[in-house]
Amino acid sequence: MRAIYKRELRSYAVSMTGAIAIAVALLIMGLMFRNYNLSTYHLLTFSYTLNNSSLVFYIVVPILSMRVFAEERKLKTDQLLLTAPVSVGQIVMGKYLALITVFAIPCVITGFYPLIMLRFGKETIKWDYSALLAYFLMGCAYLAIGMFISSTTENVIIAAILSILFVFVTQMISNTYTLMSASNFAALIFLVILAVLAGFLVYFMTKNYWAAMITISGLSAAWLITYAIKASWFSGKTEAVMKVLDFATHFNDFANGSFTIPNLLYFISAGAIGIILTIQSVLKRRWS
Amino acid sequence: MIEVKNLTKKYGDHYAVDHLSFQVEDGQIYGFLGPNGAGKSTTMNMMTGYLAPTAGMIKVNGFDIMEEPEAAKRTIGYLPELPPVYPDMTVREYLAFCAELKRVPKKERLSAVKEKMMELGIEDMANRLIRNLSKGYKQRVGFAQALLGDPQTLILDEPTVGLDPKQILEIRELIRNLGKKHTVILSSHILSEVSEVCDRVLIINHGRFVACDSPDRLEMGGKGGTTLLVAAEGKRADVLAALRTVVQVTDGDLTEDQGVVSASIDVPDRQDIRGRVSAALFAANCPVVEMRTKKANLEDVFLELTEGEEQADQDDQEQTDSEAEQESPASDKEEPKLHGEEEQKEDQA
Ligand SMILES: Nc1ncnc2c1ncn2[C@@H]1O[C@H](COP(=O)(O)OP(=O)(O)OP(=O)(O)O)[C@@H](O)[C@H]1O
Ligand SMILES: [Mg+2]
Repeated sequence: MRAIYKRELRSYAVSMTGAIAIAVALLIMGLMFRNYNLSTYHLLTFSYTLNNSSLVFYIVVPILSMRVFAEERKLKTDQLLLTAPVSVGQIVMGKYLALITVFAIPCVITGFYPLIMLRFGKETIKWDYSALLAYFLMGCAYLAIGMFISSTTENVIIAAILSILFVFVTQMISNTYTLMSASNFAALIFLVILAVLAGFLVYFMTKNYWAAMITISGLSAAWLITYAIKASWFSGKTEAVMKVLDFATHFNDFANGSFTIPNLLYFISAGAIGIILTIQSVLKRRWS
Repeated sequence: MIEVKNLTKKYGDHYAVDHLSFQVEDGQIYGFLGPNGAGKSTTMNMMTGYLAPTAGMIKVNGFDIMEEPEAAKRTIGYLPELPPVYPDMTVREYLAFCAELKRVPKKERLSAVKEKMMELGIEDMANRLIRNLSKGYKQRVGFAQALLGDPQTLILDEPTVGLDPKQILEIRELIRNLGKKHTVILSSHILSEVSEVCDRVLIINHGRFVACDSPDRLEMGGKGGTTLLVAAEGKRADVLAALRTVVQVTDGDLTEDQGVVSASIDVPDRQDIRGRVSAALFAANCPVVEMRTKKANLEDVFLELTEGEEQADQDDQEQTDSEAEQESPASDKEEPKLHGEEEQKEDQA
């Protein structure tokens, strides 16, 4: 694992991607800090800066994670890693730790900003750092998902686009709650669409046409029956489902001073899911 | 010691490897031979744990590759079809990384890397970026990587591809030397290479077992044995009658072209019958204009063996029947025309 970790860090260093990612993150966060905390708005909480720095993820996550596995597959160096006496878990963890090490650098540097604000008063300092922690954890979750996306394709461009899409959905989804019709029927339609998406996912994972069809028809049938029996069950379900993907709201809850364990766990489990999916996807490829 | 039992790999409905079983004893050099798409690389990828078999068992030096992958992989050095090198590293950096990956103790790493670079003749390239190396040198870097950690077993997928003739000789010498201490399995479609280097040859086609024996025995075991080619002037019937006094021939063995009758004779038991044939033809007033013996070599055996297979399932593959019509082996009469299914890579050495 150490060998892989060191090699990854080295490759971020020599290929400049690490430097670019760090520079972009520092630039955006610095600009936001100036805007929200120092000059334009003069807000007292640092979390506004972080809240408005989600742009960082759109750039940093694809830059850092798109090549992690996609490139190995293209170069066939995955043959070296997977036939070496290390487990897939170690390979994935070595790469992941390198990813979050690079991301930690701008976060640590940004960690000095709240100290600059000390002259405005120190009431908010606890919030500031819990927000920074949340921001870092959100980044770690994104990088884990980005790594998973990278492990599913040989094409780094596709990997980059998919991870930008994922950041987009998880950042923007809270804006669509009001657009969504609150009717039970709309929720039903939404869940059926999800069933179809689940079917595609099953097909992608197993390459089994029938398993996918069974997933889609099974879930849809279950929901139709539920709807026929008790339509009220669907009220609020759209939002509940969408909340699962709502990184932005979870971050805001966290950043606005409610340092809650569930919010913390939310990001940690999102990261864990990304890692587990990556391991599964690498293992699965051997069976294809 | 490597044991492979009923190894199978299915891609969709297509069998890349089909119930393949074989054993490799310690200290042997084992050649893995087959035309393009025979399943050599797939088999090697499964033996090294890169791909999971659909069915079957692989035991490497006592460890099952599926059940104890790390212990098994520790005993294997693998050079895949394309050398698995990182273009953005220098040769030295790359090999140091591989050494650590293969758990070479920290103290020995530098010396191990140096030693392997010497062995492969790439010390001069140590500080070059792999991106800038020629194909042959990349191949050697990949080879050095396989040797790191001194694994008991070396699995080499077409180790001499991309090398120049001089390098091919060097690498063959290296493989022969390695074979003294290691078990080596190498794949190739260069027949002369296999017959020169390997103790045993396993021929597969369409993922299936075709033959396995020592190169010498395979050559002898070919249906042809020795073939005598004779051309004499005269009438077809006269020539046939004269030849019949010496060996068994049928009219089908003869061809006639502008008054010259050519015969291709299967010689039983590797006897030397040239003198008697010549005398008989002379006596029949049919002057001999040409005579030569043709020994069945591994090439013929290979074509013969894989050809039979191909007829069994021609539709199995989008085989482009390149009409590379080789000199037909002796068994011409039983077999329809041979198609050079195999890319005839001549050994430049
Ligand atoms: N990922 C894959 N998906 C589908 N079919 C595959 C895959 N990999 C290999 N095959 C098929 O499996 C068969 C065996 O391929 P393999 O690469 O093992 O052949 P080979 O003996 O190494 O050939 P070559 O001499 O060209 O290297 C081929 O018919 C190939 O098309
Ligand atoms: Mg091959």
